[in-house]
Amino acid sequence: MIDNKTLVAGGLVIAILIGVVAVFLASGDPDGLESTALMIQGEKTLTGPTPPDAEIQEDLQGKFEYSAPMPDYSLGEESGSGGGILAIVGGTVLAFLVVIGLAYALKIAGKKNPPDGVQ
Amino acid sequence: MHIPDAFIPIWQGAIYWAIALVFVYLSLRWAKNELNEEKLPLVAVLAAGIFALQSFNLPVSMGTSGHLVGGALVAIILGSPFAAVFILTLVLIVQGIMFGDGGITTMGVNILNMGVVGGFVGFYSFKGLKAATKSMPVSAFIAAWLACIIPALCAAVELWFAGTFPLEAGLIAMGIYHAIIGVIEGVVTVAAIYLIVNVRPDLVDNGVLPVKAGAVA
Repeated sequence: MIDNKTLVAGGLVIAILIGVVAVFLASGDPDGLESTALMIQGEKTLTGPTPPDAEIQEDLQGKFEYSAPMPDYSLGEESGSGGGILAIVGGTVLAFLVVIGLAYALKIAGKKNPPDGVQ
Repeated sequence: MHIPDAFIPIWQGAIYWAIALVFVYLSLRWAKNELNEEKLPLVAVLAAGIFALQSFNLPVSMGTSGHLVGGALVAIILGSPFAAVFILTLVLIVQGIMFGDGGITTMGVNILNMGVVGGFVGFYSFKGLKAATKSMPVSAFIAAWLACIIPALCAAVELWFAGTFPLEAGLIAMGIYHAIIGVIEGVVTVAAIYLIVNVRPDLVDNGVLPVKAGAVA
């Protein structure tokens, strides 16, 4: 069994490693939802490969539009994999910090274990 | 499975948001009651791990890729479907706002599919299967597979309702792709449970333990 500090350090290192490896090794194929959209729009067949130039047509009429600062987990084409690593590592650490921050807001941090037998 | 803004009209997104907020509120109440300083590091690490794993798309043939969602994993490890709602909501907020993965008006429906449906399906199917089979890995694998495919089918129905996908084609394609992606969900979920049970068995819900002895908890 490891203590909480090791759990956090080890867990974050593993998460960051997964994210960094993902920048280089993750598949560029569309995910299940995107593949379905491409198939319905006639850009690919159900079981066939996705053409490299396939693009999802988005009907934005009456829809909300928002531009995220780091779309597609990257800092833009010119920043390359370095930008991708920064984006993923940043997001991983941010996900961790958001939980800790919310825990402080909910006064969970500092709350001790319930006595034995109380769940 | 992250639905972008362009796929669902704003008014429908608002309805899903309203329903999702009820579950988000309940998940905050769960966190306030069930979490403490001892469990907090695991919850925060799970959020970081799920964020990273969700960026790791693996090829699943048919020109398609997929990744872990994590609803079943979190619900099983922490012993509550609200744990999945809690963590997936926070991960989806980071993904939607910072990375444009999943929309803003559609964040509610994404929370509903991946957090609520994924969490509840994952948790209760694990509980039922574990009681029936007495096997953690078998139960967790099937529960995680169901927690991938059922939210995907929900998304297909929602996108039909939004006028984006035809019903039959949407259900067939989402079903087939996520039936394969669900295998990734199952394998990663079982591996992650083994890892966490090995390093911190004290933080894992009693419904999962004991894994090694193979006995019924």
